[in-house]
Amino acid sequence: MTGTSSAQEMLDQEMIARIGRRDQSAFSALYDRLSGPLYSLAMKMLGDPAEAQDALQDVFLQIWSRAATYHPEQSSVFSWTVLLTRSRVIDRLRARGRRSRVVVASTEETPTGAADASTVESAADTVEKHDEAARVRYVLNNLPSGQRETIELAFFEDLSHHEIAARLGQPLGTVKARIRRGLLKLRERLNNL
Amino acid sequence: MISEEQQDQAALYALGLLGADEDAAFESELRANIELRDLVRELREAAGNLALTAPSLLPPVSLKQRIMGEIAMEAKRVVPIPTRRASFSWVPWAIAAALAVFCGLLAVDRVRLEHQLADIRAVDPLMQTTFYTLAPSAPAPTDAKATVAWQPGSQSGVIRISNLPAPEPGKDYQLWAVDAEHKDPISAGVVRVDKDGVAQIRFKPVEKAEHVKAFAISLEREGGVPKKEGPILLVGTI
Repeated sequence: MTGTSSAQEMLDQEMIARIGRRDQSAFSALYDRLSGPLYSLAMKMLGDPAEAQDALQDVFLQIWSRAATYHPEQSSVFSWTVLLTRSRVIDRLRARGRRSRVVVASTEETPTGAADASTVESAADTVEKHDEAARVRYVLNNLPSGQRETIELAFFEDLSHHEIAARLGQPLGTVKARIRRGLLKLRERLNNL
Repeated sequence: MISEEQQDQAALYALGLLGADEDAAFESELRANIELRDLVRELREAAGNLALTAPSLLPPVSLKQRIMGEIAMEAKRVVPIPTRRASFSWVPWAIAAALAVFCGLLAVDRVRLEHQLADIRAVDPLMQTTFYTLAPSAPAPTDAKATVAWQPGSQSGVIRISNLPAPEPGKDYQLWAVDAEHKDPISAGVVRVDKDGVAQIRFKPVEKAEHVKAFAISLEREGGVPKKEGPILLVGTI
């Protein structure tokens, strides 16, 4: 259903509730659980380890200060932190005018732009995490190519739907429809797998 | 029924692609439309999953140290610094020393009591009870709380809830056991509170739960659901 099982989601919510009460051990546990995927996202969008680390630091400090305002009815903890990360990364892209550095095309498991400071995830990481990533990648790769491309542009790049339409040379209505259909299919297929 | 145009807006909103004006207009629509809110949540989950398609990397260990250092410093900043009086500067040290001795005695006593309790538990199944304190998550009221007394041996327990207002019509609260050996939470049944927001019931999860890490209460469709769908309102570990 999500990037996490619902049992894990409950534990995530408990960690967030404890962080809201300034519990540093809960914060440390949540960092251990989420820093990998969030850093990977920041690296994919920024392509620069130092900037990705700064963005991740901003995100976790924001989680620390805003945990009490988290609303479980709006999103899972995982999705909330992903969207926070994306938002902080987009701020950086805008501030530094470095859209050209975004890497979109690759959905392979090979680390791109990894520098000395980064560590490729070790084989000891949980099978479950890799299963989940493989599952999402499988579903995404099996969407119609137009929908997949549009969704990837929308998610990983700082482009409005108008800019995506211009980039792809497609009418705005087509872009909106691709995003809608693609996300709905992604949701449905992830729920059913 | 959600129109195609609303679905378009929901997808763009979930991806953060609407402008500020469009965002505000759509949010006001969301407040009045539960079905649309549910769709947005699910689309957000789908969008959040896209992060997992990024090549898998870990940040350097030093980053965690940096962040933990930041929050520790922030925590120190909010602790008021007591004023000191030079002539009695030895007093706090004396109190600290006395407390240290006292804590040591308490620790020894605690170990002794734990051994006694373990002995009693070994012979009395009624003592094999674990307690879980459930704290509220938004949108539950901040004073809502629950305590679960769980007996793994009999696979049953008692929950007491307080300050949790009755759910809206068509909804029920449902209790879940989060077990280390089950991917999904195990339903322990629907829990109904009285007009004062209080409930005390016995429960038994629908499946065997031998390694319960936490209990949680979520808001679900009336009558309960086999697999958790709604938001968590209360959750807690031992």
